[in-house]
Formats: sequence, structure tokens, C-alpha cells
Amino acid sequence: MMTLWDASGGQTVTVTGLDPAIDLSVSSRLREMGLDSGDSVLCLRRGPFQGTLVVAIADCVYSLEQHIAKRIQVKPL
Amino acid sequence: MKRIILVGKPNSGKSLLFNQLTGLRQKVANFPGVTVELKSGKFEQYQLIDFPGAYSMSTLTRDEEIAVEKINQALLDEDTALIICNLDATRMQSSLMFGMQMLAMAQRFGKPVVFALNMIDEVARFGHQINVAELSKDLGAPVYAISAKTLEGIAEFKTAVLRDAEQAAVEVNAADTAELPALDFSEQVKQSRLLAAKYGIQSTLVLKNQNAIDSFMLSNLSGGIVFLAVMFLLFQSIFTFATPLMDGVESLIGSIASFVTDLTGPGMLADFLNDAIFGGLGSFLVFVPQIMVLTLIIGMLEDSGYLARAALICHKPLSYFGLSGRSFIPYLSAHACAIPAIMAARTIESPRKRLITMLTIPLMSCSARLPVYALLVAVLIPDTKYLGGLVNLQGVAFFGLYLFGIVTALVVSLVLSRSSLNDDAKSDMPFILELPTYRLPHWKPLIHRVTNSAKQFVYRAGPVIFMVSLGIWVLGYFPTGTGGLQDSYLGMIGHWIEPLFAPLGLDWRYGVAILMSFLAREVFVGALGTLFGIDGADENIAGLAANIQADGLTFGAGMGILLFYVVALQCVATVATLKAETGSTKLVTGLVIGYGALAYLLAMLCAQLL
Repeated sequence: MMTLWDASGGQTVTVTGLDPAIDLSVSSRLREMGLDSGDSVLCLRRGPFQGTLVVAIADCVYSLEQHIAKRIQVKPL
Repeated sequence: MKRIILVGKPNSGKSLLFNQLTGLRQKVANFPGVTVELKSGKFEQYQLIDFPGAYSMSTLTRDEEIAVEKINQALLDEDTALIICNLDATRMQSSLMFGMQMLAMAQRFGKPVVFALNMIDEVARFGHQINVAELSKDLGAPVYAISAKTLEGIAEFKTAVLRDAEQAAVEVNAADTAELPALDFSEQVKQSRLLAAKYGIQSTLVLKNQNAIDSFMLSNLSGGIVFLAVMFLLFQSIFTFATPLMDGVESLIGSIASFVTDLTGPGMLADFLNDAIFGGLGSFLVFVPQIMVLTLIIGMLEDSGYLARAALICHKPLSYFGLSGRSFIPYLSAHACAIPAIMAARTIESPRKRLITMLTIPLMSCSARLPVYALLVAVLIPDTKYLGGLVNLQGVAFFGLYLFGIVTALVVSLVLSRSSLNDDAKSDMPFILELPTYRLPHWKPLIHRVTNSAKQFVYRAGPVIFMVSLGIWVLGYFPTGTGGLQDSYLGMIGHWIEPLFAPLGLDWRYGVAILMSFLAREVFVGALGTLFGIDGADENIAGLAANIQADGLTFGAGMGILLFYVVALQCVATVATLKAETGSTKLVTGLVIGYGALAYLLAMLCAQLL
């Protein structure tokens, strides 16, 4: 299954779900940020050393670490 | 006094709005152990309280939990007349998400809310217009378009806020928050998206410039070069900009001391005033310029949006040691002084990582260790040059000591990160970082930040350092009353504790110097100077080094002292700051003992094996 971490730079993907193992407070924050099922996310680039993923969600740009990006299931738009 | 509270998401121009409304007189209240900081100032007849920026009323970290708890308390307080919710007009969705949650909470307690639609000047630059009247109708609360930067709409906003606060009903819902069911904010999240789509600027337009700069700032090559250049400048400026100011503070205190002691004439009172009072004051006031310069530069980096990028770049390498990308700035700053570095650790999102960073900061070689390193390296390492003078053996030794501190800090971080330290559910939050828009920092919030950092340091660390300084003076001065260390109580203690230093290959004189340097490390050189009969040892390191060499300090014992100084937590000011920031005496005591034991062990191994 494709995760947000697998998205390449410049690719827009649609969120299909969040790993239920994610802590409840974290998953609700992710949903509020715009990472809920059906939301689209633009993957901008990977941070240096492949440490983080830089994504544009709605009107904000966020950096997500691999640990969390791998728990966000997506599909290509 | 009736209060108005100011809330909003981070990086939305809230601090600048607060400064424009309150002017220059502000107070800052901190909560130990967390980054939560409430700023308050006078806005006409009201007290305006600036709450920390929040992304949501559903909390993610302990800091957010406390911030929301404080907002709830303010909503319950009958003195709270009005809530100003600051919105970033260029980021409507994320701003409104918090704004609408806040509105729902405030309505629950019968408190009126007004929205400040800030950064309206930037919206105009994008050729976009927001129908404020319509937005106000949709939100069911007044909305005022302003720019805290250009002051557009500020005068009208002030009048309107004062009018709204006057008119506001002050009836307080008697219900306690604990008795009310938690609000489900999903409806507010949905509404905020709809309103942002209706009124906001297209996100691709807003993010276009930011993404173009980021493609340079975050690329492996150019991003790495910019990062190294910024960090080099930061490190340099801590020394270069702060040094003349530090010298100024020292000479000012010195001048006042000689003026006062000239008035009293020679004797015990003059010695007391000169060494205990002015010496004690000088020992911590000298760090104030360094703290201010560091806070200014970090503030500029943060307000410009670069600090978030620096944290992103460092995140991966530091994560191997259980640290966050945001640990880098405090670590770097700690090479100047641990105190502002410990304060800078407040920007770390995860309380667990923040704690580990704070606890390992003292292992970085601060500027106070420089005189100690300079003396002992001159004693132990020959001044040999290689590669036509490019490489100096003493320079390599210096570098090795700094590197040893960094490596020890990373190893200790790794050990602590695998322990159960601060192991609660909200202590290890994932690294989710908003990359704010690049902006030119505004001077007003920066000035407040700089002055507040100095005030906090003086209030927190000052009294402890001062008291310890007095205690050491008394022990070093009496019973002889001549200021001669050898026959003083401190000298006696030195003889008593000599057996403790014997395994390190050191006699009582080194024991006393080490003991005295628990006030501040640089005291070591001055104390040894007194004991070896060299006046002004701080300035005459070469003479003292020759005396120590002639006295027969062995290489192993000397290297042992050096490693002891790299590792031991000797600075009272650092201990006081750590205690204030962690809120735990037990933890800090454990740290002093732990680093002390490790330092002793390393020094003993050096003395025995080398």
C-alpha cells in the first residue's frame, strides 16, 4: 500500500486513511491539518538526508518525519 | 482590572499585534518545565494577555495542554471582557480552524470574540480582496481587517475593540470546565475549510514564493551551504558582537567597585565589597550581553522563518541520538554559554527531547572553559607546528576537547533517550513542523524578546550565583581575614579533601581551585594563580603555565583535569537555570552528581593510565 513517504517530489496524492496505530491525539491533529481521508496533499520535496518529507497541505507547508509519513496511506491523484 | 485575551495560531503576526496594542511595557510569566509563556501589557484601561500560539484546541503536547488549560481558565474568569482572535489573512484555512474552535469555546462561556484579520496588506499585494462584512456575518462575530506591520486599520481596530469590550456582557457561566463534556471540533474544522474556500487566497499563489526559496534553502547542496554559513555567522557573532559588551560590563562593574572601595578605604569592608559583592555581581552580569546577542540572532532566525528550515535539515542526523532537529541551535549556542542555550531549548516540540537536550547542553564546551583549556593545553601540549604552521598541536588539542564534549553529549543523549526519562504519553511527539512564510523580522517583538531574556536570566540565576559567591568569599577570606587562600577555611577544606584528589594525581591546591570553580569554571585559573603566587593569572597564563610545569604536574593528571572540565557540571548559573527550566531539583542534583562522577572517573583513568 502506498504511503505519503512513497510520494515523489511534485506529486499530488489523495489521503486514503491513517494507520490506526497512530496515537489518537496525533491522528486528530493530522486530520485537522488536512490529512483526512479524501484530502489531497502536494509532496514538495524530501528534506536533506532523507530525514523528512516537505508537503503542502491546504494553505500551509509542513515537514513530516518518516515515522509519521509512513503511517499515512495515500493513492496517486 | 478587566482583561482582554489575545489568541491565534503561531506565525500569524499575533506578537506584533500585541506589541502594537500594548506599547513597550510588558510583563512575561513563565511556567517551569514547559514553553508556555504569557505576556501581558496595558491596553488603555484593560490588561491585554497574549497567549502562546496554538494550532488547535485539541492538544498534542504538554505545552499545548497547559496553554489550552490557561485559555479555559481565562474564559471562566469574570474579569475577562473580550477575546481577540488573530487570523492570518493569507492562511485562512489554518487560522480559521483554530479561530472557529476558539469561538465555539468562548460562546460556551458567554464571552464575546472579535477577529483581527491580520496581514491584510499581504492579501492586497496578491491582488485579492476579502469581503470582511460578509465573513463577519458568516462567523457570527465582528471581523476587522488590519495589518500589525503597516498599521493599516489599527486605529479603527483599537476603537472597535474598546467599544466591544465596553459593551460585552460580563455574565459568567458558572459551570466548571471539568463538568462540561469535551467539545467535538470536527464541525468547526469543516466550516473553516468552507469559509477558507469562500474568502481565502488560492494556496498555490500564497505558497509560490515560499516554495521557490525553499527549493534553494532545502536542497542538499545549496541548503547545506546556507545552513553552514548561517551557523558559522551565529557562532562568530556570539563571540564577536558580545565580547565588547561583556568587556564593557566587566569594566563598568570594576569602575563602580573601585569607586566604592576608594570611599571605604582598605580593609575587610573593601575586600567584601570588591570580591564578594561586585565580584559576585560581575560573575553573572557578564553573561547578560552574550544572552542578549544570542536571543537577538535566534529571534531573527525564527521570525524570518529560517529556524524551522534549520531544524528540518538537522533532524535526521540528530534523531539517531534521540534528539530533535531543533536541538541543534541550543547545542550550537552552548559553545558560547549554556544558560541561553538551555533557554533556547524551549523551541523543541517534544518535551522528552527538550529535556534530553537541556540535560546534555552542559557537556558542550562553553566560553568559560576557554581559560582553563588555554592554561592546561599550554602546560601539557608542546607548541609544535606542522604543514608550514597551518596545523598547531595545541590547536588540535583544543579541537579535540570540543569534539570530546560533543561526542559525550551525543552518547549521553542516546543513553537518556533509551531510558524511561519523562516517559509519559505526550512526551515523545512526532516531528511535525510548519514551515512558515519567509518574512523580514519586525524589530518590536525582537526587542521585547531580547530584554525579557536578560531579565529572566538575572531574576532566575542571579540570586543563586550571588549567594554562592558570598559563601565562597567567606570561606576563602576567614579566619585569617587577609584574603590568603592557603590559611583560609577553603584552604583547610582543600587539605581535608586532598585524599579525594590524590587518585587523580593532584594535591590540595588543585582541589581548592576545582572546588572554587564550582561557582564558575574560569575561577580555576585565578585560584591557581593565587595559590602559585601569580597575580592577575587570568591575563598572565604563560607565567602560570611555566610555574605549573616547574611544579611537576604530570601529563596524565593534567589531561585528567582537562577531561574533568569538559564533563563536570560546575557552573552554578547553569545549575540554577536548569532547575528553573526543568522544575526538578532531583533531576538536576542527579545530573550534577552523574556528570561529576563521570568526570572524576575519566580524570582518574587519565592519571593512572597516561
